Amino acid sequence: MNATRAAAEQVAASSASPDGHEVVIRAEHLVKRFGGNRVLDGIDLVIRRGEVVSLMGSSGGGKTTLLRCVNLLEEPTEGVVEVDGEVVSKDGHSLHRARRVQLRQRVGMVFQSFNLFQHLTAAENVALPLLRVARADRDEAVARSVELLARVGLADKALELPARLSGGQQQRVAIARALALRPVALLFDEPTSALDPESSQEVLKVMRELSTQGMTMLIATHEVGFALDVSDRIVFMDRGRIVHAGPPREVVFGSASERAREFFAGFVRQGSQAG
Amino acid sequence: MTANFTSFGPFHVDWISWAPTVGDGIIKTLEFTAVSFAGAIMAGLLLALMRESPVVPVRWLARIYTEVFKNLPLITVIFLVYFGLASMGLKLSVFEAGCVSLIVFYAAYLSEVFRGGLASIAAGQREAAHALGLTEREVLARVVVPQAVRVVMPATTTMLVDMLKSTSLLITIAAAELMTVGQLIASTTFQAMEVYLVIGVIYFVMCYPLSMASLWLERKLKAGTPLSPVRRRLIGEIRLALPAAAAGGQS
Repeated sequence: MNATRAAAEQVAASSASPDGHEVVIRAEHLVKRFGGNRVLDGIDLVIRRGEVVSLMGSSGGGKTTLLRCVNLLEEPTEGVVEVDGEVVSKDGHSLHRARRVQLRQRVGMVFQSFNLFQHLTAAENVALPLLRVARADRDEAVARSVELLARVGLADKALELPARLSGGQQQRVAIARALALRPVALLFDEPTSALDPESSQEVLKVMRELSTQGMTMLIATHEVGFALDVSDRIVFMDRGRIVHAGPPREVVFGSASERAREFFAGFVRQGSQAG
Repeated sequence: MTANFTSFGPFHVDWISWAPTVGDGIIKTLEFTAVSFAGAIMAGLLLALMRESPVVPVRWLARIYTEVFKNLPLITVIFLVYFGLASMGLKLSVFEAGCVSLIVFYAAYLSEVFRGGLASIAAGQREAAHALGLTEREVLARVVVPQAVRVVMPATTTMLVDMLKSTSLLITIAAAELMTVGQLIASTTFQAMEVYLVIGVIYFVMCYPLSMASLWLERKLKAGTPLSPVRRRLIGEIRLALPAAAAGGQS
């Protein structure tokens, strides 16, 4: 009896942190090689339910690849990736077909270039995964699509094609689409990098709301202000490694890493001038 | 030429008695077009896929094929297939030779169209579909093919019209299609101007609706008009589900 309980606790411990928040995403010694190039060079990272974590660092540092290894758009070369308690990749062996498809339903992704399906209206973009993946009936898919578009403030654009929407609007539709299957976590790959400042603010506002609603989010971003404001942690990456991870203010203003200090120097200077 | 002008006028030819012959010519033309177009689409698609092959020689083979046939006159191809092969001991019927010529020639052009269509679907579209948990089949069926079809539709119908007109070159191997029939009538009646005008009008009447239908379809697709009943119903239901202000509002 006791042994069983101990075993159960051990299992629970592997997916729960000391403060009881479940681990949603875990990477352990994650390596991704493209040819001879180690784009991810031993990443250890744990994201708990409800956490908002910003991945920062110069382009080419591995942020995007890390996100893509979580939903297996890239195959990790070594190490472990765990999502929602399930090992999705271990030592270069990743989930196959059906289970990979299931994994992707549990993790939503938002891309830098929106990637809305150009031949479908905004509402159909959101409805597609509901109809084709979740096999929802039409009434349910329609109701949920409209509700999600309303949530990102775009109910009035439901029947527009993506080409007729601004970048900010397209990205908000993309967020609604990523939310359609009620994922346990959302991955954002530089969601505002292709947007003008005003559109960026629209999108960041939606992301801020999601964070207050308790959505678990892993965000590759260059928006230092947003990362400071919204994230629980900033993870600073350089050349495939995590250089510094910690509370946002600590990483931005007081990192021991020279690379991080260089990276945030512009922002810190600007901030002190403005203040 | 001047001799023809003296005999120019409406209907010096007894078209009523020629009608069955003309009808046969029209049917032959449509047969050549239908068979060759179906063949060219399949061959073109195969070539387009070969151009994307991971195997380098396969890619090159398709590339060389395409370049060769894009830079040969169709009539040369027709002569090679009909007379050239016959001289080598491979005797094709006129219909076979005509279709083979049109297929190998237009496959080269269509492969370029299809390759462009497939390439125009950004990698991000597939990735987004995969990231949503769609299966490989669904990604193709719901995301890639519908968009690729939209892209290649206009150029493909242009090719169809072009091919229909090009069947007239098969006159050189007496293929019994419309142009050959025209020549027969003209040489019998000595009314070249009238005969070829009428033949021209018939070609126009066959081609023009195709061109127009293609433009119409292109406009509809561009405007996002749902063409399938399933999609029409879905959009109708979305419209009904929208808050009143949004449904009636700007669009």
